Amino acid sequence: MRLYWKALGEQWRGGLVLLACSVLESAPAFASGRLVERAVSQGFAAGSPGTGLAWLGVFAAVAVLGALGSRLVWHRLGTVVEPLRDVLVGAVVRGVLGDGATPRHAPDASGVARFTQHIEVVRDATAGMLVQARAMVVTTVAALAGLFSVAGALAWYVAVPVLLALAAFGALLPTLAARQRALTLADERVASSAGAVLSGMRDVVACGAEANAVASVDAAIDTQATAAVRMGEATALRTLVVAVGGFVPLLLVLLAAPGMVTAGELTAGAALGALVYLAATLQPALQGLAATTSTVLLRLLVALRRLGESCPPPSRAGGTAEPDGSALSLRGVTFGWGAHAEPVVRDLDLDLEPGDHLAIVGPSGIGKSTLAGLLTGLLEPQRGRVLLGGRPVTGVRPGLRHRLIAFTPQESYLFAGTVRENLALLAPSATDTDLLAAADAVGAGELLDRLGGLYTELGHAAGGLSAGEAQLLSLVRLYASPASVVVLDEATAHLDPAAEARAERAFAARGGVLVVIAHRLSSALRAGRVLVLDGDATLLGGHDELLAASPRYAELMLAWTAGREQAEAVPPLSPLSR
Amino acid sequence: MNRTSASLLARDPLRFGLLLAAAMVAAAAGLLLPAALADAVDAAISGGPSLPHVVWLLTVGGTEIAADVVAAILTARVTSSACARLRRRVTRHLCKLGTASPFAPGDAVSRLTTDCAGAGNLAAIVVQLVAAAVISAGAVVLLALLDWRLALVFLGSVPVALLLARSHLRLTAGDVAAYQEVSGELSARLLDAVRGLRTIAASGVAEREARRVLRPLPRLHAAGLGMWRTQSRMVWKAGLLLPAVEIAVLAAAGFGVAAGRLSIGDVLAALGYVVLGMGLVGQVPQLTNLAQARACAARLDAVLGTEPPAAGTAWLPAGPGGLTLRGVAVGAALRDVDLDIAGGSTVAVVGRSGSGKSALAGVLGGLRLPDRGEVLLDGVPVTALRTESLRAAVGYAFERPALLGDSVADAVAYGSWAGSGSVERACRAAAVHDLVVRLPGGYATPLEATPLSGGEAQRLGLARALARNPRVLVLDDATASLDTVTESRVEDAIAHALPGRTRVVVTHRAGTARRADTVVWLSGGTVRAVAPHDVLWSEPGYRAVFTEGAPG
Repeated sequence: MRLYWKALGEQWRGGLVLLACSVLESAPAFASGRLVERAVSQGFAAGSPGTGLAWLGVFAAVAVLGALGSRLVWHRLGTVVEPLRDVLVGAVVRGVLGDGATPRHAPDASGVARFTQHIEVVRDATAGMLVQARAMVVTTVAALAGLFSVAGALAWYVAVPVLLALAAFGALLPTLAARQRALTLADERVASSAGAVLSGMRDVVACGAEANAVASVDAAIDTQATAAVRMGEATALRTLVVAVGGFVPLLLVLLAAPGMVTAGELTAGAALGALVYLAATLQPALQGLAATTSTVLLRLLVALRRLGESCPPPSRAGGTAEPDGSALSLRGVTFGWGAHAEPVVRDLDLDLEPGDHLAIVGPSGIGKSTLAGLLTGLLEPQRGRVLLGGRPVTGVRPGLRHRLIAFTPQESYLFAGTVRENLALLAPSATDTDLLAAADAVGAGELLDRLGGLYTELGHAAGGLSAGEAQLLSLVRLYASPASVVVLDEATAHLDPAAEARAERAFAARGGVLVVIAHRLSSALRAGRVLVLDGDATLLGGHDELLAASPRYAELMLAWTAGREQAEAVPPLSPLSR
Repeated sequence: MNRTSASLLARDPLRFGLLLAAAMVAAAAGLLLPAALADAVDAAISGGPSLPHVVWLLTVGGTEIAADVVAAILTARVTSSACARLRRRVTRHLCKLGTASPFAPGDAVSRLTTDCAGAGNLAAIVVQLVAAAVISAGAVVLLALLDWRLALVFLGSVPVALLLARSHLRLTAGDVAAYQEVSGELSARLLDAVRGLRTIAASGVAEREARRVLRPLPRLHAAGLGMWRTQSRMVWKAGLLLPAVEIAVLAAAGFGVAAGRLSIGDVLAALGYVVLGMGLVGQVPQLTNLAQARACAARLDAVLGTEPPAAGTAWLPAGPGGLTLRGVAVGAALRDVDLDIAGGSTVAVVGRSGSGKSALAGVLGGLRLPDRGEVLLDGVPVTALRTESLRAAVGYAFERPALLGDSVADAVAYGSWAGSGSVERACRAAAVHDLVVRLPGGYATPLEATPLSGGEAQRLGLARALARNPRVLVLDDATASLDTVTESRVEDAIAHALPGRTRVVVTHRAGTARRADTVVWLSGGTVRAVAPHDVLWSEPGYRAVFTEGAPG
């Protein structure tokens, strides 16, 4: 919101140009009353229709001039509106991707679509304000100026009610904005609750929950109807204020004028001119101003507020600590997703020296990825400390921390661009040779050949690649990075067991600390130590040690090997799963 | 006029009548205003007593303002209540249609939101158009009463002025296409980056990636500038419409003043009538809105006119949960399937994708209706059963469940009477209890504040099926995201929690099929074989089913 006004302020040059165009655009409003009055009192009423027609001709010329002025405004509009949109898009993209963003609250496809939509509303509404509302303000001011130039004696009768009405309208705006916002939210809620029910109809039917579904949508519908009525009432109040503000000056002038004309303070012509300004220009302009302001401005305010809410502000300045080496140690680390929630990890102690290879195993959803977040400094433990080279990992200078620790989650990040750009994401200075060597090491050489080399363009959303192929490319990227701590979070889930083993061995041979969050228990067999997360307890030790000491681990292994016999009877798969 | 439109106008006659009356009062007062103004002006500039005229003007103007305000409030009430009424009807009807609804979810949502709102406007649009027509016609008549020449000039100049100011508000297709294309490119880049947010956050490359996403921005800027320039060439002429007609009528009125037919105040009145008369031109978009509202109403008619499937009336007698299929065919998915599933047994359904597994799962509990043939549950055709009886007997869990309800506990108990105890027992059996108690609010955590992974949602969906304690449990690939260890643990827990229930398990996993009593092997919509897994395993075609798409 503040950003918007700041960005708008930066376009002051464009704004000045628009203001200059406005002067031209306001000519008809300024001249109308005077010209009509001349045409009537000097021309038609004075018995010389030729003069009257000439004055009307001038009026026509001024009208064309005004229309040209508005053409200029449209022409220049882009120079103000487009830079503004650029700033907003930049802020939203940085906000979404920036340091304050947490993956758990990241927008989905519809969230991204909503951002685009809000920004387009801001762009259109800003243009609308600059074209329509500005024109109405200019017309109002010009008509007032014209009126004062014709009949200055009537100034107070006109200015006071108009200003009072505008002030009252301004005071109404917050209410209007609040109600418009409530209406927008209620509209969105109808759409989202209906969308949930209708796209989940199979589940509604399967649960026999039609009544629950209807009730949830009905609640949203009723809220929306109430919000619409409240908005309608506020709009009616606005209509009243503005209509009274336009009508009262007319009455006052009509009451005051006869006396002033009789007393010689005002000519009959001037009184006519003033009335033309009031009835034909000022009143419609005020009504137009109120109407456009309350539709366009409200749309603008609501969209800005929604943007501000859904776009987290960039935050969390990093630390400045310089770690000594790249050993990781956890001391009494406890973390849970809420104050009352059962902790995901409790009082965990763990030491990882360069050369160590740790596998983390446990059932789905037990919090293995949370632990990855703690190790990489993305999450802060509630109790205890995570140390990198003797320093708290979240306090390490961010640039250095990211160079030392590299992490790849199950979902691969590939973007539209060349294969090379994608692979060099974490190692911008890597040469082609480095990247090809990394590809060979993790077993992606063949894939790279099939794609057509480093300079092939990839599409959006890793188009054309299977999940396994996308993971292989992420692994190459990670391998090529300078990091001395590597965390693989189910990063080989879409590879077949043979490809997974090859990749894990490559990372183990790469040196440094390797932490593998295991998708399959075979990862545990390859690791030096195994950390078992199982809800109630965490166990740490070598594979054989755990087999002997922990019945739980033995049970997991047994269940897994039993399943594996069956799987291994299956004919071999292609190297990559599709 | 279609059914929905007719019901809209007839449903609330009192409010509609009031709205029409308020609009007519406002129109009449609006039409009286220019003449009242003219008299007051004549009095004012002649220096005569103006008070009576001003009082009359105040009465007319005050009435107009009051009527306008009343009409605005009534419009909001009529529109919103019509829209809400339609939405409630459509929601009920769509829920009655259930899975048999021919309307895709996105389409149905747009009918419920956009079309109901559009159709709800119908009454307000009709009133506004009638009022505008009355005002415009009245203004021309009053102009003619003032001086018939003025009316002629007005009527003659309007078409000419319209022609002159004809604005092609259509932008060139090229400008719009370019803008939308670049805008779409930007969104696609942002979506790519959002999908990789964990990688970006962990690698600290947010700024670099933001710059990459924003790379097409200068092109968007250029396309936007082009759009405004195109508009500037077209829209400015519209501003000339009113002045052109005003000047023509002013000139004619001027001659009237010169000839002594008209007073100076009459000139002002004529100007007022011109503005009122032109009002109809401003209402042209309302004609489009009217057409749109009627189209919306027609789209709602299409929904409300679709007959829901007839529900049965029989109650299900007690029984073991045996299922029998006789010559069942579902579209292209299943052809002439005959099958007997013994009550209390566990049956795995396997087959390549597209072999009809989900269609088979769907017909068992009436989620899909067979085109031919019938499905019997403990000897009773499922179509003959009361809906609630059938739903209580057959529970479903899906690969991608839609979880509905306010909180996590609500989602598990959705549509059933399961209390917190059974919810927790079901969650333990589905191996999701440990996850739920780690959420910020435990079972009371709002569902929308709980971003769930596919596997987490799957297990909650499974718990939802278990909490209903059904006679037949249909698991449509409902454990696909679980690791094999957790999956077999869940299977044991289900057998323990719901002993003796019939279980139909659609699966891609050999291990799951092996643990079932019998396997139904589907191929191309027909039953290829029914036998235990170990018997079928000798067939290469059967083994090939499990290699498809499955990571090792």
